[in-house]
Amino acid sequence: MATEQDSSYAQGFGQVSRTAGLVFRYLLLAATMFGIVTLAVLLVYVANDAIQPLTADAGWHLTFFLTLVLPTILVGGALYRRNREALKLGGMVVGALLVSLLFSGGVAIVFVDIIPPLTGFSYAVGLAVAVAGTVLLTKYETQIPFTARVAATGLLFFLSLFGVPGYFHSIPELVQQAPVVPTDWIILTLVLGGLTALVVGQYIARVREDTKAGVAAGASALVLTALGAIVGPFVGIDANALVVVTAVSFVPTAAYAGGSVITREELKPGLVFAATVIVGALVGAVAVDALGFAGPQAWTDWQFLTSSHSGSAENAGLYPAIGGSILLMVTVAALSFPLGVGAAVYLEEYAPDNRFTRFIDVNISNLAGVPSVVYGLLGLGVFVTYLGQATGTVLIGGATLALLILPIVIISSREAIRSVPNDMRQASYGMGATRWQTVRNVVLPEAFPGILTGTILALGRAIGETAPLIMIGAPNVVFNLPTELSSKVSAMPLQVYAWSSLFASEDFYTKAVPAGVVVLLAVLLAMNSIAIVLRNKYESET
Amino acid sequence: MTRKTDDILSRRKFLIASGAAGLTGLAGCTENNSNSESEPTEASGGSGDSEDSGSGSESEGLSGDINVAGSSTVFPLATAMAERFQKEHSEVNVNIQSTGSGGGFANYFCTGQTDFNNASRPIKGEEQDQCSNNDVTPVELKVATDALTVIVNNDNDFIGEGLTVEQLKTIFSAEEKPTMWSDVNSEWPEEEIEIFGPTDASGTYDYFIEAILGEEGPGHRQDYSATEQDRTIIQGVKGSKFAIGYMGFAYYSENTDAVQAVAVDNGDGYVEPSLDTALSGDYTPLSRPLFTYPAKESLAKDHVAEFARYWMENSTSKEIVADEVGYVPLGEDEKQEMLDKLNSAIEEAN
Repeated sequence: MATEQDSSYAQGFGQVSRTAGLVFRYLLLAATMFGIVTLAVLLVYVANDAIQPLTADAGWHLTFFLTLVLPTILVGGALYRRNREALKLGGMVVGALLVSLLFSGGVAIVFVDIIPPLTGFSYAVGLAVAVAGTVLLTKYETQIPFTARVAATGLLFFLSLFGVPGYFHSIPELVQQAPVVPTDWIILTLVLGGLTALVVGQYIARVREDTKAGVAAGASALVLTALGAIVGPFVGIDANALVVVTAVSFVPTAAYAGGSVITREELKPGLVFAATVIVGALVGAVAVDALGFAGPQAWTDWQFLTSSHSGSAENAGLYPAIGGSILLMVTVAALSFPLGVGAAVYLEEYAPDNRFTRFIDVNISNLAGVPSVVYGLLGLGVFVTYLGQATGTVLIGGATLALLILPIVIISSREAIRSVPNDMRQASYGMGATRWQTVRNVVLPEAFPGILTGTILALGRAIGETAPLIMIGAPNVVFNLPTELSSKVSAMPLQVYAWSSLFASEDFYTKAVPAGVVVLLAVLLAMNSIAIVLRNKYESET
Repeated sequence: MTRKTDDILSRRKFLIASGAAGLTGLAGCTENNSNSESEPTEASGGSGDSEDSGSGSESEGLSGDINVAGSSTVFPLATAMAERFQKEHSEVNVNIQSTGSGGGFANYFCTGQTDFNNASRPIKGEEQDQCSNNDVTPVELKVATDALTVIVNNDNDFIGEGLTVEQLKTIFSAEEKPTMWSDVNSEWPEEEIEIFGPTDASGTYDYFIEAILGEEGPGHRQDYSATEQDRTIIQGVKGSKFAIGYMGFAYYSENTDAVQAVAVDNGDGYVEPSLDTALSGDYTPLSRPLFTYPAKESLAKDHVAEFARYWMENSTSKEIVADEVGYVPLGEDEKQEMLDKLNSAIEEAN
């Protein structure tokens, strides 16, 4: 009986048509590809306008094909067959170099042009003194009551950074008034190079499991940075610029490459790939220069990146807008990160599950979907009309954008915190830890990469926003970098918008706008790539 | 210096000594002369009060913010002036916003947010009142002459030589509101009129009403595509054979291939809009003066006064006003008149 039924089922199976399933599958594929392909076509179109690769000499293309593309394909292909992990490392090193070069540009704008090195240095010294004092205080942690310690730490930071006007000079003031101060490149080497050296030293010490190696690596990082400044003028590069690039880009990339190879010997061939790409690009650049081949007449060129708006599209540049966007992002991060993470920790770890918290829950999700122009109106209403601030400043723009991404930061941070396994919390409680100790020592470290990823993606949204900035009255044309929180600010998307709408000549539309879009997208992709790398690293570790 | 206690001095000595010890090895110390420069760039809290910044600085080292808002028609001229001014005074930040004449007066200038307001029509009485309520005194300066330009599509051949003022009045009036071209002139095709124009925040809109429709006239129809972006007007007219629009001459002069300008007949034959006909006064009634209004209170600040002077001195420049931007420059007499007006306002302010 049973066997008969089975065979009749089998016969029924044989007659089912697969066409419906096949059609469904390819419809899904088409749906997936539609948006991506449309966007890709648009991006290629814009990039072609901005970079104009076809205006280059054929020799230029041939040279780079021979020095860069061909060796990369050969080495990459060989590695792909033998050692894919190594190829991945090589790709990561090249990617890290590109992204960190981009970031070193941003750092240079902030620490050379916006904040004069001496001012930055004076605050760095002030902070260092305060931090040293705090470390000293923590040594006597057990002997001083908690409130006194907090008060002392607060006072220490306040005194060293701000002083008491009339009685007691703050450390930044003292440093700025010192009769003899180090030159800019030494300051940059000490502050930026010092930070990099610290990070690199710790990283190497961890992978080598050897403190001495870490110290040596940190010291050589500092020496390398200083070397950049000394060598720079001889090869015709500004010492300050080279110090920043070395400290932010070259040294960390080298440390990453070195550290990865130390931990996994078999990845060494990956460095060959990275070297092929980098050397190939350099050799190609030198060769076209020597042979006199003209490169493409790109609109996204050095002049575009470093000059301010002009009446003619050829001379127009994005510099004040780039600086404005960076300052806005710093302000947004400084405001939204503590608020957002704080709210997320409270809601996940402390809040009782009652009607009120559920009400807040729903509203945070709703706020994440509110159109940005509404946030712009909110910023205008609250900060300008109600609080009487000037329109269009860095502070107001940053605060408005921070409000805009706050719900996103809260939601993604909550996701990250929620993904910390409950077992870990229970284990911590089981060891006798308090809730505060559990949050600080278990939950936050574990959730941190996720929180950071979410915040970076949210910042990526904020950097592309135009509507809120228009609403709060940010000017359409700005000629200088903003230097204070109360300076008027322009931003990259706003500048692109102004070019595309307010300037009549066709040139702005076909040259300046695509160039601006390419720069904006490059910054956005760099930010997102960092978020993705962080997420992957986090996923592979757990 | 005098109020430093021993404690501070020793601390300072310690800092210098320890700093110097570490740094002389690297050999690169420099004399500190940046104290005065680094002051304005210190990252202080955002009090957002741009009014004070830069006051009291010497004339050779001008610095501070100048905020400009107002007419989109004057915007390119203000940008061109600011760009050149900026090259000579790199420490001065000129921030320019395009808000429309009326929008600029109501939301920015008369509330004390900006130092200058550009306008493509004279200030209105109610705007004067709003400004004086907030202790802002506008100083009227003429900066150029514009030929407000009516544009139609390149393929439009039916209107012939041009339009009369009467026909323009019929097309744009709120009373008749013709929907078809044939409603205006029975010989014209039976096609819908598509109308593009500036919003009612714009001085161009106000001037068009004054010149064509009349202050007491029927009023401007509201069923048209209104925008503060002149580029959108051009794109709209370019896209449809039966479209019509109007805007400042500068935007047309940059896009002479995209659309065609309409010659206007005010009773003495058709006159094409151009710099020459606007200057000679033949292009009536649509040639109009453009203004900028500095606030007398802001002129007390050297860098603002200097920018206003720079603008007026260059208002006769054919290179900037006519060739780069596309308006008619002032004559020498007019310039002198404006400069005298400005200088007396600056004196009063100080």
